[in-house]
Amino acid sequence: MTSPRTSASPNFVTRINRALTLERIITSTTARLLLVFGLVALAGCATPPPDDDPEGKAEFEQVNDPLEPANRWVFGFNDIADTYLLRPAAEGYRAVTPEFGRQRVSDFLDNLKTPIYLMNDMLQGNVTLAGSTMERFLLNSSFGVLGLMDVATPFGIPGHSSDFGQTLGSWGIDEGPYLVLPLFGPSNPRDAVGLAVDSYADPVDYYLQNNHMHWVSWTRLGASALSQREAYLDALDDAKRTSLDFYSTMRSLYRQRRKAQIDQAGAAP
Amino acid sequence: MTNLRNHNVPNMMIIRRTLLGAMIALALMAALPGAAYAQSPTDARSFIEATAQSAIATMADKQLSRNDRDDRFRALFVSAFDIPEIGRFVLSRHWRTATPEQQHEFLTLFEEITVLTWARRFQDYDDERLETLEATKSGERDWMVSSRIVKREGPPNPVQWRIRQGTDGAFRITDIIAEGVSMAITLRSDYASTMQANGGRIDTLLATMRTKLDQLRAAG
Repeated sequence: MTSPRTSASPNFVTRINRALTLERIITSTTARLLLVFGLVALAGCATPPPDDDPEGKAEFEQVNDPLEPANRWVFGFNDIADTYLLRPAAEGYRAVTPEFGRQRVSDFLDNLKTPIYLMNDMLQGNVTLAGSTMERFLLNSSFGVLGLMDVATPFGIPGHSSDFGQTLGSWGIDEGPYLVLPLFGPSNPRDAVGLAVDSYADPVDYYLQNNHMHWVSWTRLGASALSQREAYLDALDDAKRTSLDFYSTMRSLYRQRRKAQIDQAGAAP
Repeated sequence: MTNLRNHNVPNMMIIRRTLLGAMIALALMAALPGAAYAQSPTDARSFIEATAQSAIATMADKQLSRNDRDDRFRALFVSAFDIPEIGRFVLSRHWRTATPEQQHEFLTLFEEITVLTWARRFQDYDDERLETLEATKSGERDWMVSSRIVKREGPPNPVQWRIRQGTDGAFRITDIIAEGVSMAITLRSDYASTMQANGGRIDTLLATMRTKLDQLRAAG
């Protein structure tokens, strides 16, 4: 470290060192988290019904949740985080922002996701939807003032969302066992991979990271979480209030909704 | 004022014509019981439209007391939904192992939970409108009516109604599918999971349902 050659560029060395330390912290945290969730998953495998109960067995297979005990554990954790953080934040957002304003935020965030929608429309081989995604982007970014107003919907070009989980599904890849992800909620291996691919492939995020606008990227993530949670306030409250078992209701809602989205993606030309 | 009166004239005519039509239809149904199933897509759509209209009218009527409104809702939902059919579907394989007394109590509780659930949903009513789009036959007595709920802001929500014509000729709702999610399938998954967690005992399920009912009543 004290050699004259390295002192010529101390800035560079410090930066490398800092990056390495940061990377080590991140990897070790991720590894630890993975280990914890792995152990929970191992300890928490559901016992399938015995052979003399064919209807129970069929139900077990249909529910597709062999990791149910582990999933319920993560679901409980998410529910606490939601009850004390996300839901109150979404309620506060609703209280201080009029419906008109919230719709502008949601339209704006949706317009920023155009590259992801377009990429997946094309990967699904859906030329018609890819075209309407492009048309929506052009209309909403110009006449809709940078995407603040969804003017394309009244024009007869309604919005849709396409993600990589859907794309994998439309390619015939099975959902795999039901999975509740920490903080992200209901998912499965296919959709979890989709989530990762979509977030890595997002050019908007690339641009922000490369230009050291991390705070914009975090703000966008926070605003999306808030806006989406607000949109689901009534539906989730309703599901929680009226269901006997909130966990299985959410599982059923998620799996049906994803299946419908993928069937729709596969059915269109 | 003149405007209002002008609108009222054709409205009265339509009501009179509808009443006349309904009376003729009733007379025909009484005379030809076999022809009761032969209804058109228009009839299926009008059933959904009329049901939505009555629900909205009940909600919009500010003169009604809370109790009167609840009573009207109950009457409307019990006649509009095929609760025994939905209940049997929801309990699925456990329906067969239940005693007649258990089945009866299950349906009573299920009806009560359904009514309270929907009464609460309509409390949040905020000028949404229901537009029916088309009705297609699926099976001998079943129809699928597609519609969309138009809100004040944001894109409309597609909703499909599965309705069944009873032996009395009247339509009843057996399922509601909103954006690909079926109410009946979600409920069945909920009840099946509760049954599984309690070791398959109907009496325990009934106790859970009573607790849920108390919670719903307390929440108002």
